[in-house]
Amino acid sequence: MSNPQVELHIKDHGVITLELDQDKAPKSVENFLAYVAKGHYDNTVFHRVIPGFMVQGGGFEPGMSQKPSGAEIQNEANNGLKNDNYTVAMARTSAPHSATAQFFINVADNGFLNHTAPSAQGWGYAVFGKVVGGKEVVDKIKAVKTGRKGFHDDVPLEDVVIEKAVVKAE
Amino acid sequence: MTAFAELVAPAGWRTVDLISDLHLQASEPATFDAWQGYLQTTPADAIFILGDLFEVWVGDDAAAEPGFEAQCAEVLRAAAQHRPVFFMHGNRDFLVGAAFAARCGLQLLDDPTVLVLHDRRWLLSHGDVLCLEDTEYLQFRAQVRAPSWQSAFLARPLAERRALARSMRTQSEDRKRSPGMVWADVDADAARAWLRQAGATTLVHGHTHRPGKHALGDGLERIVLSDWDVTAHPARAQLLCLSSAGAQRVDLR
Repeated sequence: MSNPQVELHIKDHGVITLELDQDKAPKSVENFLAYVAKGHYDNTVFHRVIPGFMVQGGGFEPGMSQKPSGAEIQNEANNGLKNDNYTVAMARTSAPHSATAQFFINVADNGFLNHTAPSAQGWGYAVFGKVVGGKEVVDKIKAVKTGRKGFHDDVPLEDVVIEKAVVKAE
Repeated sequence: MTAFAELVAPAGWRTVDLISDLHLQASEPATFDAWQGYLQTTPADAIFILGDLFEVWVGDDAAAEPGFEAQCAEVLRAAAQHRPVFFMHGNRDFLVGAAFAARCGLQLLDDPTVLVLHDRRWLLSHGDVLCLEDTEYLQFRAQVRAPSWQSAFLARPLAERRALARSMRTQSEDRKRSPGMVWADVDADAARAWLRQAGATTLVHGHTHRPGKHALGDGLERIVLSDWDVTAHPARAQLLCLSSAGAQRVDLR
């Protein structure tokens, strides 16, 4: 069976196609697909954009209101997948197994995010897929102007909105 | 449950200014200038600083030597000669002590404090302690607010404390290099509980740098102060003015 693909339709920017690695990251993929299926990501923003690092989204609506999310999932960062450029991984709090809906797309090879040990410091961030279409859209997002909002320095000044996230028909 | 501190405004006060989160630091002179200009010109009968006036405070002795802290002390002292200036600790400047307050003529406030102005009760807080999701920070807060930690820290030489503050700053910059998720905000249930305990309808706080007004149900609300950064586009230098007419935001830039 081929891996599932999800399209992120980004307003005014284009479509990013993600291929999800069901074999290596089954729990993360199942979790992500469940959020896609219930429309969680529709009308959310990339709220944190750091060129040379990553672009993070899936948790806030335009205007920075936080969307409620579901249960925390197990961290699959020990699956051998690396946080390389154009891979997609789960964001989380400082607790290793705390990912819910927010994800990020690496826009550089971020080796320091990879799993090194089953400890609070070493767990790393679970890669569960990669960008297979629309890399130029990712490049556009990482280049948007950002500013300080709330505690963060890296919030796009103009919202980068995921209009919809849909599973691509095979 | 202990009662919250209460401050009853003298009958003569018409307007009160609330500011917070200026994060004053030597490397940002423009914000310092805006703050100084504001203090020299405000018509308010009292000024309440609700935390994080300073980006960092390593001890009152820092203001004893010539430098940025001493400069700030002079500005505060001049302002406090004309009207009362109240100071509540934030998560950055929690080490501002009685010695500095006395030198500048500041009156230190508990967090939270109920301000009774024109028969209306306003609950004032920095706000950090209500961000319940930020568990890592709250553990740190409990540690550094303990008198034993503070006396041990303040016993170190000033130069060492300055160096420690710098390295803590770097560590927190490093934390930003992670796809973190918690964007702590004031917990609505905790805010409601505080307001009920205080017999107030409006909580005013800073800390989150997310200025706004949020209804909490049952006629309760919280108003969030803006942080200051006059080099940002658009510039941020804002106060909240309390009067018999209610609360009004005033942009200084």
